[in-house]
Amino acid sequence: MGSMTIGAKYKTTLKDPGTPGILRMNDDKFTFTPNDPRSAMKLNVDFRSIKGHKFNKVDGNKPALLNLSKDSDKGGGYMFEFDNVGNRDLSRDFVAKVLGKHQGIPPRPTMPPEISGSSTGLEQLSAAEVERRVKLLREDSELQKLHKKFVLGNILQESEFWATRKNLLDDEANKASKQRPGFKTAMSDVRPSADGRTNKVTFNLTSEMIHQIFAEKPAVRRAFLDFVPKKMTDIEFWRKYCRAEYLLRTKNTVAATAEAAEDEELAVFLKNDDILAKEAKLKIKRVDPTLDMAADAGDDYIHLPDHGILRDGSKETVDTDSEWAQRTLSQELNRHAAVVLEGITSDVELTDAKTVAEALTRSKKEPPSTSTVDDDSHERLVKVARMTEIEDLQAPRSVPYAPLSIKDPRQYFDSQQANALRSLGGSNDGRKARNCSLSTEEVFHHIMDQISSFKVNKSNCSVLESDMALKVLNELNEGISRSRRLNLKNPQEGLLGRVPQHTQDELMDHWTAIQELLRHFWSSYPITSAVLYNKVQRVKDAMTQIYQKLQAIKESAQPDVRHEISRLVKPMTQALDAAFSHDLEQQQKSAKAGNKPNGY
Amino acid sequence: MRFDLDGLPVHFPYAAIYPEQHAYMGELKRALDARGHALLEMPTGTGKTAALISLITSYSLANPSRPLRLIYCTRTVHEMEKTLAELRLLFAHLPPAASRSLLALGLSSRKNLCVHPQASAAAARDSVDTACRRLTASWVREKAASDPESTPLCEFYETFDRAAAAGDLASLMPPGVYTLADLRALGRQRRVCPYFLARQMVKYANVVVYSYQYLLDPKVASIVSREMQKECVVVFDEAHNIDNVCIEALSVSIRKQTLEGAERNLRRISHEIDRFKATDANRLRAEYNRLVDGLAQRGNLPISDAWLANPALPDDILREAVPGNIRRAEHFLAVLRRLVRFLDGRLDTETVENEMPVAFVASIHSQAGIDQKMLRFCYDRLHSLMMTLEITDTDEFMHIQTICDFATLIGTYTRGFSIIIEPYDDRMPDIRDPVIQLSCHDASLAIRPVFDRFETVVITSGTLSPIDLYPRLLNFNPVISRSFTMSLTRDCICPMVLTRGSDQLPVSTKFDMRSDPGVVRNYGRLLLEMASAVPDGIVGFFVSYSYMDGIVNSWHEMGILQDIMQHKLVFIETPDVVETTLALDNYRKACDCGRGAVFFSVARGKVAEGIDFDRHYGRLVIMFGVPFQYTLSRILLARLEYLRETFQIKEGDFLTFDALRQAAQCVGRVIRSKADYGMMIFADKRYSRHDKRSKLPGWILSHLHDAHLNLSTDMALHIAREFLRRMAQPYDKTGSGGKKTLLTEEDLQAMAQDAMEM
Repeated sequence: MGSMTIGAKYKTTLKDPGTPGILRMNDDKFTFTPNDPRSAMKLNVDFRSIKGHKFNKVDGNKPALLNLSKDSDKGGGYMFEFDNVGNRDLSRDFVAKVLGKHQGIPPRPTMPPEISGSSTGLEQLSAAEVERRVKLLREDSELQKLHKKFVLGNILQESEFWATRKNLLDDEANKASKQRPGFKTAMSDVRPSADGRTNKVTFNLTSEMIHQIFAEKPAVRRAFLDFVPKKMTDIEFWRKYCRAEYLLRTKNTVAATAEAAEDEELAVFLKNDDILAKEAKLKIKRVDPTLDMAADAGDDYIHLPDHGILRDGSKETVDTDSEWAQRTLSQELNRHAAVVLEGITSDVELTDAKTVAEALTRSKKEPPSTSTVDDDSHERLVKVARMTEIEDLQAPRSVPYAPLSIKDPRQYFDSQQANALRSLGGSNDGRKARNCSLSTEEVFHHIMDQISSFKVNKSNCSVLESDMALKVLNELNEGISRSRRLNLKNPQEGLLGRVPQHTQDELMDHWTAIQELLRHFWSSYPITSAVLYNKVQRVKDAMTQIYQKLQAIKESAQPDVRHEISRLVKPMTQALDAAFSHDLEQQQKSAKAGNKPNGY
Repeated sequence: MRFDLDGLPVHFPYAAIYPEQHAYMGELKRALDARGHALLEMPTGTGKTAALISLITSYSLANPSRPLRLIYCTRTVHEMEKTLAELRLLFAHLPPAASRSLLALGLSSRKNLCVHPQASAAAARDSVDTACRRLTASWVREKAASDPESTPLCEFYETFDRAAAAGDLASLMPPGVYTLADLRALGRQRRVCPYFLARQMVKYANVVVYSYQYLLDPKVASIVSREMQKECVVVFDEAHNIDNVCIEALSVSIRKQTLEGAERNLRRISHEIDRFKATDANRLRAEYNRLVDGLAQRGNLPISDAWLANPALPDDILREAVPGNIRRAEHFLAVLRRLVRFLDGRLDTETVENEMPVAFVASIHSQAGIDQKMLRFCYDRLHSLMMTLEITDTDEFMHIQTICDFATLIGTYTRGFSIIIEPYDDRMPDIRDPVIQLSCHDASLAIRPVFDRFETVVITSGTLSPIDLYPRLLNFNPVISRSFTMSLTRDCICPMVLTRGSDQLPVSTKFDMRSDPGVVRNYGRLLLEMASAVPDGIVGFFVSYSYMDGIVNSWHEMGILQDIMQHKLVFIETPDVVETTLALDNYRKACDCGRGAVFFSVARGKVAEGIDFDRHYGRLVIMFGVPFQYTLSRILLARLEYLRETFQIKEGDFLTFDALRQAAQCVGRVIRSKADYGMMIFADKRYSRHDKRSKLPGWILSHLHDAHLNLSTDMALHIAREFLRRMAQPYDKTGSGGKKTLLTEEDLQAMAQDAMEM
């Protein structure tokens, strides 16, 4: 199909003035090279990650825009402004052709999460990400100070600042996802999309959707395990699945029956799900008798076939005996909701369709052991009784509980903190080791004995002997009160304690700033790009400033604390010196090699 | 608690009682004293069942001359379970001497009671019945006596049979309360058939709980309830639809498939006759002789041989000898063939035909040579023949049985029925599906034997408005007819009439508006807004399956459904009962675990009839539209005409009454007790009209403020938020101010004292 090169401006937002540059497009990808080589707006994007394109109507002096969108739902994409409408239309037609070709390719089932190749310069931040950063800043005043100093002071870029704090962000993310997410409540719907130009219908499947399909349609799961990869590849499998879905969706029963007759694999998707039917039969036996309408149908002699009133408009008479699925939306909704309620039972990574399918099959295999009959179960009686009784005519049902009573919450939580501190520091705080009558070895043996005896008679015998437990408890309690006493007395007895308060604060600020800057400085070596070069220059300037400030502090200090201050400042200046000398060395090296002064 | 009601000591299973329950018991006692029928409407959520059973039980405990014989009819099996649970609670509160002697049990079909491992595994009810008959029919057991190797029998039935012969069934079943599950458990434990045991014990039980049809449908009633005594007190609970049950019990329809099946059956019967002629000609001759002697039935049939009985009401069955020309098996077979051929000819019509039974019978006589008397005897003659031929697989013979039911009914009744032949369903004119429908219009026909037979019949429900209509529809004279209102501690129900959507355009399911995308969207927005504001369960009722299907699909296309699912899971009632049951079960789970869910259901559907959405299972019910019947249905038109001519009930009045009772029934499922609370939204502009609204039961109307009569979506949302906030506050359960809404034993004593002094 060839390629195309055209001048355009890349815009991140509609309001953005845009970065002028060259847009090159070929069959597979498009690249954007800014005219200014130092601009970060370089792009190199695979067309496969592009889902669609939009363009605006040009009238008056509005710019001609073309928007290549990555995901039609979420927005996000690449916007280009062209000099005139002609150029825009040319590129639009080219893009349309390329996209048409790519979307003819069957859906890629195990598509990796979309990462657009190298659009690194510009950060695509999700709202959640931004929110998380703001939250971090709000919670940590020190971080906020640093952020203010460097990012707002234009020494570091926002992204650079956060790049070294990935772990913080990740931690936050981990904390949020401690509870494993289940299926989405909303039904992720495999909707076909037609681009309107070609006669192709496109389905998009993500691994999450596949997981859901497997969970909701056990017959598809079984078919997948049977067919792939023995009979067909997984792409073929999903193409067949989508074909069947399409037939069902268009309610083209005649075509569906015809195709199913020809193609036995396709027929699997069109048939009623026999595994589900079997499960339903089991489940119906365990259902709450106060809503068991199936039992009701079993008791109904008025509606014998051909008895009762047939056609008064309240009943639909449909023959449902067909082997071919008459799948309706309502059935799908019910099934989806049931699966969501069941939750995800297995710990599988949503990577590979095969593993997902196998894991689900395993989890289903675990036989419901007490599925036979539960006519005698007491639980059922209690349930029915609770459903029928009138609650406010009765004294309230009391659940036995023991109230948690903490007399003085403040003391309680403080002591907890002290405990934690001690376990961290490990210092004994002048607490002399109590002269226990047990040596460590004896203790070890004792504990081992206890453990083994516990293992032998797993019963409810106490793990520890009570007098021993009492001793330990006393010891700990004493420790708590002692550590509290100590903590309150003479805080800060180190070097800093003797320095006046404002100097102390200043030094601390500088120290954190230096740490931050040094981290950025060292991480930029070796300098391989203009970006890094710029960064080093900026960082170096900032460090020089701080160096001078440190010197000023040292000199202006009162004579009685000067010694202490110089001792405190020394490691900082040393660290800075090391950085400066390294920089100097590098510059000399590059100068010797005859490179350009901004050498990369 | 125990208290005194006009001199009658009443045992009540709870520590307190609602004033309306007290009043309800008073009326009920008067009806029992007068030995007459009663019609009582009391709002849902005020403990009707508990009041009913405590009073009737206490009444017979206090009057030893009138021992406790209660037949409690419920609409559905799950209501049966609930009633039995309440009985269990009551029996636990009775004095031990009384509770130790009382027996209460539920009765259902073999499908729900069978414990035989193979027979009970069958999926459909008919197949279980057939499987059972294969193992228990008298001729099968006779054969097994001579050839025990090759004829399997049911060990559970054999145990039952031995015990019945020895006369100690009572020892198998000690007094107590038996639900269906309890019966099955008992059967498994004692290795005895629970179905036949229950069928036998019904005669001796103090309380029998079963479904309406066991008393109303002559096909079932005359085999199950034949021996019930006159002293029984009969209760029809949730009886707002009782007229429909009555007319359905006497209606039959014949389709092309029925006729084809009947012809297959006839071929098989003639084959069997030939076989018997060759091997055992005596049997046929014996049958002929019996018929000459005028015995249609073979005297007392063994319990296991009983099959669905005559479709005509017991009083109308001729006690005569079978006419001579159908006594011989071959002749009868020829008559049936001619009848089937005649019906086949009538089915081949291109136009809709509407005939009275008399005219239809006359045309049968002239064209097929079958007179009215032969038609009347069709059913009994067929029954006798099948017994003689020892046919066990009754489910195969449903078709010919339907034909004979039809013949017997048109031969017996000349009034209150009409025969409507339609070549296709009106809503699907291009699909040819001819049908001959014999439809009954007169609900009083089926229920009259019940009123005649039993002294006291109590008809009760949460919605019997207007209460004067039911005595006319059912043609009886109640001695007590009363409608109770609800005394509320706080305004715990909040009915609203929503007439406009969020864009201020009217919403309605009127025929010309229902498919308007604006209305569909407004309904969707309403549900979406409510789903985001109301906690736990929400139930939506639609006017019909097809409408629900259509609107849910449209919501799906518009993306509204996805938005709703952001807030709550969605479950839908489908025509498949198993699936619906599972969906309901999951719905409850979703409400229990706090996730919240929406259930879509159909007015007049199975869910609306019997499932409660009380407490957190239903904080809001939305009734989308007015559930009018399909007014173009010819059966409905014929019935309306009959009602106008016979009972002087206007068409419009009946239609509105019918629609509003369904709507009230749907929304009434939301309240269980006074501690419960819930909202009801009637989403249709037609509800704001006085003639429609006024047909709602009084307890809903009294809470329907004028300000809530003409709301738009955002106003309704505001009211809902306010209401939920108010309901979340703690309150005094016994009622504040002058009016007590919860009476304790002391209150009742004080009341009795006051009455004495006055």
